[in-house]
Amino acid sequence: MQVIDTFGHYVEKVCDNKPAFSRWMLKTGWKLQDARFRIAPDKRLQPADQYLAALMMDTMLMPLKKPDDCAIVSIFTPCELLQEVGLHPYNVEAFSCYLSATHTERGCIQQAENDGISETLCSYHKTFLGAADRGLLPKPRCIIYTNVTCDANMLTFRRLADLFQVPVFFLDVPMQQSDISVRYVEKQLHEMALFLEKVTGKKIDAERLTRRVARSKRTLENYQNYQHLRADRNIPTDLVSPLYCAMTNNILLGTHAEEKYTRMLLQNVENAPLKTGKHIYWMHTIPYWSAATKDLLLFKDSFQIVGDELAEACEPDFDPENPYLAMAHRCVYNYLNGDISRRIEAGIRHAENAGADGVVWFNHWGCKHTLGGSQIAKRKFEAAGFPTLLLDGDGCDRSHGGEGQTSTRLGAFLEMLEAGGNRT
Amino acid sequence: MNKTYYVCKYTPLELLKAFGGECECLNHMPEGFELADQIVNPNICGFGKALLEAVMSGNVHELVLVNCCDTIRSVYDVLKESGRLDFLYLMDVLHSTDACSRDLVAMQLEDLADAYGRYKNTSFDAEKFRSAFRMAEHKSSPHLSVMGARMGTELFEMVQKAMPLPVLNETCVNNRSVGRSAMPEGSDRAALMQWYAGELLSQIPCMRMADHTGRKQLYNDPDLKGIIYHTVKFCDFYSFEYAEVKNHAQLPLLKIESDYTISGSGQLLTRLQAFAESIGSSEASYLSDSQNSQRYPVNEAGERKHKMGKGYFAGIDSGSTSTDVVILDKNKTMIAGIIIPTGAGAANSAEKALEQALTQVHIERDDIDALVTTGYGRGAIHSGDKSITEITCHARGAHFLDPSVRTVIDIGGQDSKVIRLDENGNVVNFVMNDKCAAGTGRFLEMMARTMEMSLDEMSMRGLTYNEDITISSMCTVFAESEVVSLIAENKDTDDIVHGLNKAVAVKTAALVKRVIGQERYMMTGGVSKNQGLVSTLNEKLGTQLIIDERAQLCGALGAALFAADLI
Repeated sequence: MQVIDTFGHYVEKVCDNKPAFSRWMLKTGWKLQDARFRIAPDKRLQPADQYLAALMMDTMLMPLKKPDDCAIVSIFTPCELLQEVGLHPYNVEAFSCYLSATHTERGCIQQAENDGISETLCSYHKTFLGAADRGLLPKPRCIIYTNVTCDANMLTFRRLADLFQVPVFFLDVPMQQSDISVRYVEKQLHEMALFLEKVTGKKIDAERLTRRVARSKRTLENYQNYQHLRADRNIPTDLVSPLYCAMTNNILLGTHAEEKYTRMLLQNVENAPLKTGKHIYWMHTIPYWSAATKDLLLFKDSFQIVGDELAEACEPDFDPENPYLAMAHRCVYNYLNGDISRRIEAGIRHAENAGADGVVWFNHWGCKHTLGGSQIAKRKFEAAGFPTLLLDGDGCDRSHGGEGQTSTRLGAFLEMLEAGGNRT
Repeated sequence: MNKTYYVCKYTPLELLKAFGGECECLNHMPEGFELADQIVNPNICGFGKALLEAVMSGNVHELVLVNCCDTIRSVYDVLKESGRLDFLYLMDVLHSTDACSRDLVAMQLEDLADAYGRYKNTSFDAEKFRSAFRMAEHKSSPHLSVMGARMGTELFEMVQKAMPLPVLNETCVNNRSVGRSAMPEGSDRAALMQWYAGELLSQIPCMRMADHTGRKQLYNDPDLKGIIYHTVKFCDFYSFEYAEVKNHAQLPLLKIESDYTISGSGQLLTRLQAFAESIGSSEASYLSDSQNSQRYPVNEAGERKHKMGKGYFAGIDSGSTSTDVVILDKNKTMIAGIIIPTGAGAANSAEKALEQALTQVHIERDDIDALVTTGYGRGAIHSGDKSITEITCHARGAHFLDPSVRTVIDIGGQDSKVIRLDENGNVVNFVMNDKCAAGTGRFLEMMARTMEMSLDEMSMRGLTYNEDITISSMCTVFAESEVVSLIAENKDTDDIVHGLNKAVAVKTAALVKRVIGQERYMMTGGVSKNQGLVSTLNEKLGTQLIIDERAQLCGALGAALFAADLI
């Protein structure tokens, strides 16, 4: 921890005067970590999650290694089109988490706030914006984003496009679930394809795209099956694997690597021992950095996080034969789009599928939709038979910690689950 | 008949009126969020909570919302669950304005028309629709504008009252401009809705729209003389615009943030008054007429007659921690300076401090020709001739102490401010911390108490340290528990104090950056005696702060100088 702290401080220190050097530092540090994932992976994790750790690290390293081959995206942007023109997507939440893991988030957040950005903005976005302002974030080839599923998207990406002076494409997703909405998004996706062809000079092959979207469908089906099979299994997990999956199951959807990951999950689950502890289903992001959360949930047989809602934001119920319509359908029917009840009902189904005994609704600081819907969520999850904890905190910014409170709230909730026996 | 309330300028008011609806914008600020906090997490935008408060208190029965932002989406979810409204509708206005978006919005207008018509049991009246359009008149005279996030009616009235020029409300719902292009002939609803969708989408965009470059026209008005930029706590949209505007606006600019309650907004008065003072109008007198008449009798020509004494002038700075008094002689030489703790009543402490100062120089109250009050308690002191904000007084005092000063940093008991001055000591710009205590004298006071030492002791610690500790929590309460943990870990006291000083310095440096601080810097107020903090702040800002031995009296000194101007 001390080493990371020192490393983070150093990167922060040199950032203002030598941004290129600080990016090099960051790249070198992350490369070392990547090598560690490959040479000495955490053996406590199942092989699929060991593979995932390296895959995620590669994804985050790519913008530092080859920024011109990368595009900044919002997490729910359909990325198959980017992959078809050879662009590597990276998103705000994941990159900011890695900056936070490197202990460089505070300076970035401070930079954004110094510039006038509100303190109540989501800290993933503040970290990302601050990193861009300080030169820690490499200039991407282009930016593509949607309004799904937070206000911050509408602000951050436009500001980044102005800062980097790169082409930007916005995908406007209506909040109503209907065929008309899907057609509206489909039309924009065709425009997005033209935009990407223009930006990269590459042509999108319709057949390849169809195959890619079919891969997306298989990947989501695999994951859904895995979640079902894990319901009565004991699979040791850390706090970051569910988060990694929440990222890759969106931005890497359509890649061979992500499909491979879900196939490995299905292989691993066959040999997993039977469930011994309680299963927790997690809504929104996980405060992976929190010592209090680690104490209670990191590699514990008694309590395991068995899924994060962001990894299952849409169903594999689309027809890959019409890839644009399929991607549009995914956008419009994303569970975080529309009324809060859609999100909650999906959470209940997914928690049931994964054999959850309780649910944590993480009130990530600055996520107004999550905060706003939290009390309805608690009522509905509990009505469905899931004891539910509303946990206030921050997935990225340590200064919003309140570790004592996290420890007490989460600890008491887990004690309550333990005392309550199995969910019927 | 019940009114149909709305909150957003993209609401199709004219369509609702075509069905006989009576529409009113819901924009009042409640005293607090007692009812709203029972049904929603407190960390959402205050306007959303004001909306919930209004509905839950039974004042609203019909509400048409637009999916403006995540908070309004949540308000809709909560209200839908509550079943408290007779009619509740959320319209999905898109973020783009191209032809396809217009088609989709037109369809949504038809859906709303059907739902509203069913509810009201009326049908679409094309004539009512046509006559519902009203274009706002644009005044072409020098004015100030409130921009940014929506401002509650009560706060806007307070702004109007405090400003020396007329104020336009250009925030959010207030700059609605629908119906500028020619409406199609006939009464075909579908054709009218196509046109209407385009009209709604082509207004001056708000910040939730994908392309908001059209907002620039708000800033390019030649009659615009200053901007009061308003943000609402937990609404992030307009902080992005502010981040741009503050770097490019050539006009006086004040940033204020409200939580959308009446009680919370009262604290903004000091900033508003200081802004009015800084734009330098003679009309910006904050002494009420009755007070003025009492202090300065008015002659027949309407001129004030000043009582002549012995050429002494006094300033009283009534702060949250201390009350300071300065007396100047006719040569503007400081002949007395008193600092006493502010007790329970600001007026009593002021009287007491003034008495001590008079005793110090052996003069009587009647020998004082003019007295100006400043500081948080200034409104409670009735013995003054004029009341001026501490921002203007600190600037004046600092300029008097050292004319080379261009940036004043004042860390007070309950707030911190950074003030930029011009070469004449006039305020060019200023910022204050938010309501949170982080980065203020109170923060240090609380931490000193946690560490069981006095503030004086604390101010001498942390000058040298071994471990560079970072107090990561910005919240005072969380920072306190962090300090307790560090004490439990047996961390060295100097290291902890240095960490605390760093936390305050970071907050202060952020304020300095927001006003684009310039050399030379002076620190005023009681916290300037804290050597550890001064040293950390020097390091953080890369400068050498000027600390005058009269730094703590700077506000009172400025007030006394203003008093001398009165004669």
